[in-house]
Amino acid sequence: MSEASPLPVVRNGPLWRLAARRWRRRPLQYLLCILGIALGVAMLVSIDLASGSAQRAFSLSTDAITGRTTHRLVAIGPGGVPDTTFVELRHRFPEIPAAPVIEAYGRAEELDGELLRLVGVDLFSEAPFRGLLGGEGGGERGGGKGFVPFLTEPGTAVIATETAARFGLHPGAADGSGTLHLDLAGRTSELRLVGSVSSDGALERRGLETLLLVDIATAQDLLDPTGAAAVPAVGHIDLILEGPTQEAALSEWLPRGLKLETAAARGNAVQQMTAAFELNLTAMSLLAMVVGIFLIYNTVTFSVVQRRGLFGVLRCLGVTRGQLFALILGEAALFSLVGSLLGLALGVLLGRTVVGLITQTINDFYFVVSVRQISLSGFTLAKGMLVGVASALVASALPAWEAMATPPQMTLQRSNLESGWQRLLPWFLLAALLCGSLGVLLLRWNSHGLVSAFAGLFALLMGAALLMPPVLVAAMQGLGWASRGLPVVARLAPRDILRSLSRTAVAVAALMVAVSVIVGLSIMIGSFRGTVVTWLDQTLQADLFVSPPSTTANRVLGKVDPAIIQAIAERPDLRAMVTYNNFDVHLVDQDRDITLIAAGGDVSAGRRPYAWIRPGLDDPFAALEARQGVILSEAVYLRDGQSAIPEQIRLETPDGERSFPVIAVFYDYSSDRGSVLMDRSQVAELWHDDSVASLGLFLAPGADADAVAAELRQGFGSRQTLLVQTNGSLRQGSLEIFDRTFAITGALQLLTVVVAFIGIFSTLMSLQLERGREFAVLRATGMTPRQLGRLTLLETGLMGLLAGACSMPLGFVLAWVLVHVINVRSFGWTLQIALEPRFFIQSLLIAVGAAVLAGLYPALRLGRMNISEALRQE
Amino acid sequence: MNHRHPLRSLLTLVAVLLLNLAGPAPAGASSSIQWGETPEPQGFARATTPRQWRFPADFGAHPDHQTEWWYYTGNLETAEGRPFGYQFTIFRQALAPELPPAQASGAGGSAWRTPQVYSAHFTVSDIATETFLQEERFARGTLGLAGAEADPYAVWLNDWRISAEGPDRVRLRAATGAMAIDLTLRQSRPPVLQGQGGLSRKGPEAGNASHYYSLVQQPTEGTITVAGRDHAVHGVSWKDHEFSTSVLSPGTVGWDWFSAQFEDGSALMLYGLRQEDGGKEPFSGGRWIHGDEEVELGAEDYDLTVTATWRSPHSGARYPAAWTLTIPRLDLELAITPQMADQELSTASATYWEGALRYGGHRGEQPLRGRGYGELTGYADRLDSLRGG
Repeated sequence: MSEASPLPVVRNGPLWRLAARRWRRRPLQYLLCILGIALGVAMLVSIDLASGSAQRAFSLSTDAITGRTTHRLVAIGPGGVPDTTFVELRHRFPEIPAAPVIEAYGRAEELDGELLRLVGVDLFSEAPFRGLLGGEGGGERGGGKGFVPFLTEPGTAVIATETAARFGLHPGAADGSGTLHLDLAGRTSELRLVGSVSSDGALERRGLETLLLVDIATAQDLLDPTGAAAVPAVGHIDLILEGPTQEAALSEWLPRGLKLETAAARGNAVQQMTAAFELNLTAMSLLAMVVGIFLIYNTVTFSVVQRRGLFGVLRCLGVTRGQLFALILGEAALFSLVGSLLGLALGVLLGRTVVGLITQTINDFYFVVSVRQISLSGFTLAKGMLVGVASALVASALPAWEAMATPPQMTLQRSNLESGWQRLLPWFLLAALLCGSLGVLLLRWNSHGLVSAFAGLFALLMGAALLMPPVLVAAMQGLGWASRGLPVVARLAPRDILRSLSRTAVAVAALMVAVSVIVGLSIMIGSFRGTVVTWLDQTLQADLFVSPPSTTANRVLGKVDPAIIQAIAERPDLRAMVTYNNFDVHLVDQDRDITLIAAGGDVSAGRRPYAWIRPGLDDPFAALEARQGVILSEAVYLRDGQSAIPEQIRLETPDGERSFPVIAVFYDYSSDRGSVLMDRSQVAELWHDDSVASLGLFLAPGADADAVAAELRQGFGSRQTLLVQTNGSLRQGSLEIFDRTFAITGALQLLTVVVAFIGIFSTLMSLQLERGREFAVLRATGMTPRQLGRLTLLETGLMGLLAGACSMPLGFVLAWVLVHVINVRSFGWTLQIALEPRFFIQSLLIAVGAAVLAGLYPALRLGRMNISEALRQE
Repeated sequence: MNHRHPLRSLLTLVAVLLLNLAGPAPAGASSSIQWGETPEPQGFARATTPRQWRFPADFGAHPDHQTEWWYYTGNLETAEGRPFGYQFTIFRQALAPELPPAQASGAGGSAWRTPQVYSAHFTVSDIATETFLQEERFARGTLGLAGAEADPYAVWLNDWRISAEGPDRVRLRAATGAMAIDLTLRQSRPPVLQGQGGLSRKGPEAGNASHYYSLVQQPTEGTITVAGRDHAVHGVSWKDHEFSTSVLSPGTVGWDWFSAQFEDGSALMLYGLRQEDGGKEPFSGGRWIHGDEEVELGAEDYDLTVTATWRSPHSGARYPAAWTLTIPRLDLELAITPQMADQELSTASATYWEGALRYGGHRGEQPLRGRGYGELTGYADRLDSLRGG
């Protein structure tokens, strides 16, 4: 277009009609292209929607009870804020609106076991705080006096109007339909519904959906029915502070063991918790998009290459370069638009499934959330659309530019294009080298940046793809040389591949990238699982594990009744008992919360492997029990991007910050936030909390674990339902969580395979179909249809084999990066890479399988070809 | 329904119900709770016969009765004669007569649980600037958040507090961001038992009555703070303490209640219940206190005529704004005027007028001047429409 642009002689209309005629003649090719784009976009959109929905559901339910709260008074460590603190606050700062809140999670059989958020409030403190409790012009108010039992009788609650309706519950009804059986950490309580809450805002209604509102007294009774708490307490106190003066005055007064935090702080912490997890998912879906881009590039290249002659003629007829460029890009834009729209619809559908998987993982590892529907975010949809269209335009820009830049007379000769590619080979080498180096640099740069790590990973993949043309040439030339003396079909195949290098190279590169992703993910997940299995075997040594049934699979939220612990400890068939408890504690060094584990004994019976032990120390656990220091999990410092193990860490305790020497580092694959092991007695002393969340029981020799488990399950039913798991069942359960966590990765992997398969299929098929005249000549010179079919299959098979072979080392590199860079930076987990032949064999099979399958249809068609017609065609 | 100012018993009941109305609403969509039906609480003690009053024991709470309040008003002025009025009332309302058995016997029941709900109204009338300040608060009667004790006498809601300060002295302290009082009241005469021996009947039915005494003509000194300035003030205060378990009968639209403390040391309490047809209910009445002399007044003993009205710019309600009162039995003729027009209260449950009044006239040949408080209800909301809401 740099030359003086002549006025177009030919109008655009006929050009488009010409293009449209081609779409009708080759619908499959375009359909596959659209499908490829659609799948790529769908993946991106579904992941985005699903994780966005989980976040949204969480923030809606938080907002529903945050209201106008600006700050909250929280306890450092477990135990909550003492009742007396609220009273003192009322007397001392009467002008500051304050409201006590207790939160817990439970399930109710009447709601099909759906997760419920129990919130205890003091109605008399509520008015300034929550939209929840009505505002001026609030909706219709009930005429009943349900507030009387709500305030005066234990076991009364208010539920969302919509939720009640959904499950056929009638608040206020005297029969069973007005009653809920709430399970809180193994204790079932009957709750009478005395009212229902709703909102006139749709979003607010969603926030209320899982809410079970009770009086603050009811909440205390439900959570501590025996009055075991040393200090009666509420969860936290919501505050509305006006300006820094009040904040300063309050901070001045703050009793020991309490801290003031902003209401936004918690939400932010939650967002941060899952950021790495979500980035990983997004990167996975982008990977699929990269494969999809290859596909688009292929399709567009084909459409250009196939019409080179036509374009040459058109140029000779006076069609300008700009018009051609616009035509090709316009075509791509049109198809990508259709594909993206389809992708959006598919993504929304898919999102509904994916959201379940993601929610499960978030519940297992991060925070409790119940997502009942996906939130359609305009931003996500726009992003999906943009990525779909933009990647199509980028992918078609090169072929479009090529078609435009080639002088008309040249376009009439195909050999020109291919020889161009041959000349480009050294440049491909150079570009691959540059891309690879960039990748390595990005991976090493910014030692804890996750985004740069993913960028590096993509650069490596790109480099490998760029390397493909030279590799293909070398391989085929070598093969051509080696196949001398073999039947003609075998000699023809490598040369054919070389002759259409511009397309075969792209196809092989795409296939290789896709398959290497499969290999890489398989190795990573396999290694991960292997590591976790070994870790579980070593760490879980007790015969039985006892805990309250938890609302989420991975984390225990309730506590074991102390009387039950006492009773179990007195059993004669018990050899030893270890106790565990955990709660969040603030790690001052990194200004974030981590998990503090109060260990009363070693559940691994000394068999736990350590990543590091302080030099000179013999038995880290003995040192822990001697209160010489703490044991960290790797995630404490790895996630922070440090590689050095800290000498000591500073933790916030109710009585101020305290430093603890680090005596060892242990592996903990159950949390990616990082955890700190500390002796139970030390925790009890410093955090004034001696509660127990789970028990590990070592039975005396000869005792029957299953029998004891059954006995324990039944024995305390009236007090607390206990989850009693044998060693085997706990390991089994842990692996189930593991597999569930990776279900989403597996799903992504599968989708990538599908996109790759479509890409390979459409590319190779077009490649073969395009060669009609060439095959006709071969037939005319005496080749049988069978031979021709074999030739086709041999060619695609060769390409598949090469792609499969090259994907193995690349897949390994990918796995290495995932395990040693991405995983460490995202979650702070180090894994042992375990290579299994099946990862490679399976990938090779996919590559060759896809390739051969793609050759099958053209091969069959070739058998039926009309030679004379095909010869006349060009 | 000859309750003197039964509105307040309703106020608390309804207040609890609608307390979500209080306070500014958070922005955005609004939510609300639809309360289910539940049987009326039964089993409260009822006032059927005059009780054996025992002070100071009876200064404290009577939790077996559903409703109780400690009501203080006063007309004060600075040394320069700048007038102020105040009203400070703490209400107790039992939502249920007693804790359910499970709760009462069970160990470890939450300390937050109580059927006793306290609320408080606090107003200051800055007559010189015609500024009326008001605030309402709630708390549960547990954990020391709110409560009442007989000896030493104390009634409190968070930091708002009524408490004995030595013999016959009571200190009132309440503060908001905009106003504060810190006043010391001296009991100058024994409690005046209203009605018959402190049993104030409210209607023809047995038990539809309250236990009710007043402390009148209490010399008062202390500080009133408005607009960030402390004012040393003196004057007289009136206290009512009343407890009952009673309901309002339909057809009562509202009432007008007056307290008057005259410069000669005499005092008058008067109430008129208004019926739907505008008539005066037969259980209306009052009491005249002069030295040792006390005269119980019936509906037929007085005549109250409205001579002016005032329209509230806030609620749009039209209230009486001047009266003439004649009590032929006492040879009493008085003109009653508000010390300032706008003393309209807007609480969680109702909008009404309660403010400082000026009295002027004569008893026989003697001129009579005094100050006091008045409560005018049922002008913005029909009271019986609030009932049981």
